[in-house]
Amino acid sequence: MEIELKNIWYSYDSYTYVLKDVNLVLREPGLYVVVGPNGSGKTTLLKILSLIIKPSKGSVLVNGRDFWVLGDDEKSLIRKSIVYVHDKPVLLRGSVRYNVELGLRLRGEKRGDEVLEYISRYGLREVLDKPVNKLSAGQAKAMTIVRALILKPKILALDEPFTFLDNTKVKLLIEDIQRIVRDGGIVVIATHYMYRDLEDISKNVIEVVNGEVATLSSVKKNPTL
Amino acid sequence: MESITSVTLRSLYISSIASLIAFSLALAISIALSSLSRRRAEMVLSIFEIFVGFPTIVIGVVLYILFYPRGPLGVLGILYTPYAIIIGEFLVALPIAVTHMFRYVYELKNYVRELVLSLGGSEKHVVKILIRELVPIMISSYLLAFSRAIGELGVALVVGGGIEGYTNVLTTAIALQTSLGNYEQAIQLGGVLIAITATIAAVLKVLGEYVLWRSS
Ligand SMILES: Nc1ncnc2c1ncn2[C@@H]1O[C@H](COP(=O)(O)OP(=O)(O)O)[C@@H](O)[C@H]1O
Ligand SMILES: [Mg+2]
Repeated sequence: MEIELKNIWYSYDSYTYVLKDVNLVLREPGLYVVVGPNGSGKTTLLKILSLIIKPSKGSVLVNGRDFWVLGDDEKSLIRKSIVYVHDKPVLLRGSVRYNVELGLRLRGEKRGDEVLEYISRYGLREVLDKPVNKLSAGQAKAMTIVRALILKPKILALDEPFTFLDNTKVKLLIEDIQRIVRDGGIVVIATHYMYRDLEDISKNVIEVVNGEVATLSSVKKNPTL
Repeated sequence: MESITSVTLRSLYISSIASLIAFSLALAISIALSSLSRRRAEMVLSIFEIFVGFPTIVIGVVLYILFYPRGPLGVLGILYTPYAIIIGEFLVALPIAVTHMFRYVYELKNYVRELVLSLGGSEKHVVKILIRELVPIMISSYLLAFSRAIGELGVALVVGGGIEGYTNVLTTAIALQTSLGNYEQAIQLGGVLIAITATIAAVLKVLGEYVLWRSS
């Protein structure tokens, strides 16, 4: 699966552009890390890459086809391959179970054992039947990450995935990211802080400054990945 | 003299219809506004905000002029009927229902949309889940509208006239009994009204937790 952003501009208020003429291609499997200061446009960039928000100008090509001119059914089909996880956990009324299974339910899928494995791995087993608003910030964040991981998307976009998580969960997540990448998936993460462990495994570092992609460096420290 | 039960039932009936109409329109307005840009939507909303604390007696007088037999809508012949009170109470309750609901609907629509699309759902799923998420705010918005409608006097008195057995509601009955010096009756009627609005306030408080947890 390949996603290409061509001359992307984005504005929330139609006065100021928070992304300016961004060009980017995600083609090779691997980990892509989007770094940059707060407010530089990382979240906006990830939401455009994840086909959630439509750019004000420019085009998003999925396997060479302009996504935003496609029909609703085709859009829906393509979106199933890309999952985005918000920086602040997005929760719906109801239990943790209801929330964590939301993606599966929307797709009409069932994956019993595997789901439980992830849930236990991130320490959510004991809270499965609690109302989701009773979770701590870290648990809520972990829940949204599990909700995405169990969908096994071709492209997984994680927005500030490590905030709120404790050290153990950060390590688990980095392991999971590594495994997805090894299995040929694409993982994109946006972070304002570059973890050392990530540096070692990331294929590309995309630096966003003031709405522009400043540098695109290919890190080749670990050529086996 | 009319029994308290019959006045209470009439009050409940008139106010629940008025607030049901107000609430339904408020939901439609909120959803319509949520596809506007933030700034435009806020502009429309500020019009409703002005009317939230609007004196109900003024609304009553405006309707009186409209419904007066030789007035512009006089042919309808609804002055001093329950229908006139329903229309008046609907107008009294609408602004609070809209302002209570709008921002929540606006935020939630984008919130739910982004979540559902990010997990591979369709626009149809967005609507389904949005409605599910809106249930608590819909109930609380309805109850707020109802509370405002049942507790107002201006409209009921001016366009209803407090006719016993026909348009007499709790607030007009209280006013009437007080002016007749039947204080005990007036206090009993007041007790019923307070019991109704206090119950609603309690339900709203519980619902508030469901409505507000997201923002905390
Ligand atoms: N929903 C929104 N409405 C208006 N402005 C927004 C919205 N979201 C983000 N912005 C603005 O867009 C810019 C980029 O934000 P964002 O993409 O969230 O940056 P980052 O993720 O790098 O911190 C910021 O200046 C922010 O204030
Ligand atoms: Mg961000």
